[in-house]
Amino acid sequence: MRHAQKELKPDDIVLEVGTGSGYIAAHLDGCLYVVATDINPHAAIMAKLNGLNVVRTDIAAGICRIFSFVLFNPPYIPTHPEEKCDDWLEYALDGGFDGREPLRRFLLQIPEVLTPDGRILVLISSLQDFEKCEELFIKFGYFFQTIGNEILDDGEELRIYHLQK
Amino acid sequence: MKRELYDILCCPVCKGDLELKVTEENEVEILTGSLICHACSVTYPIEDGIPNLLPQNITS
Repeated sequence: MRHAQKELKPDDIVLEVGTGSGYIAAHLDGCLYVVATDINPHAAIMAKLNGLNVVRTDIAAGICRIFSFVLFNPPYIPTHPEEKCDDWLEYALDGGFDGREPLRRFLLQIPEVLTPDGRILVLISSLQDFEKCEELFIKFGYFFQTIGNEILDDGEELRIYHLQK
Repeated sequence: MKRELYDILCCPVCKGDLELKVTEENEVEILTGSLICHACSVTYPIEDGIPNLLPQNITS
C-alpha cells in the first residue's frame, strides 16, 4: 500500500487488477482516476462498497482506456489439476501449475491498456520463484527493480517489483 | 456504476463498443442494466452497480 502511494503521481490514471476487497485502490490518494477489476463477484461487491469504480472482467479485457499506473497482486498458490475445486476462492488463490500462470496472462494482456511509459507494481512471492518471474519480466520487455520486500513468519518472502518498458 | 465508467468499457471479446441499457438508476449511478455487444450478439449484465464483462457462458 505505502509503495503504491509513494509511486503515485497526481496525473496518474490507475488500474488495479484483481483488486480483491479494493483496500489498496480505495486508499490511493491524489491521482486523476482509479478503476479496479476482479473476476470474483464477492470481491467486486466488497471493492464497490469501498467506493471504487469496479468492473468484473478478466485482467483488463472489458476496458478500453489507457492507464499510466497499474497494480497487480496475482494469485500464486501452485495448484495441481487434481486439487482444483472450481470455486471463487480458488480463483483468488490459484496460480496454475507453477504459481506463475496469472502473472504470465497479465504480462501478455496488460500492454493493451498501458501507456508506453506506464509503470506497473506487482507483488511476487518466493513460492512463485523470483528468478523465473524476473525471466518473465525480461521476456515481456520490462526493466524491473525490487522496491520493497517482507519475509513472513513461515519463511515465505514477498517482493514488490516495479516494472517499466 | 457511474455513467462516466461506461465511456471506458468495451466488449471483452471483440473490443468493440457496447450499447448501454439502463433498467434502474439513482442520482449517483446506474444500478442495473445491460451492456450489449451487437457485433458478438452478447449481452453483459450490470448488477448491484457492477458491470459484468466476463464471458457469459461461464459466469453465474
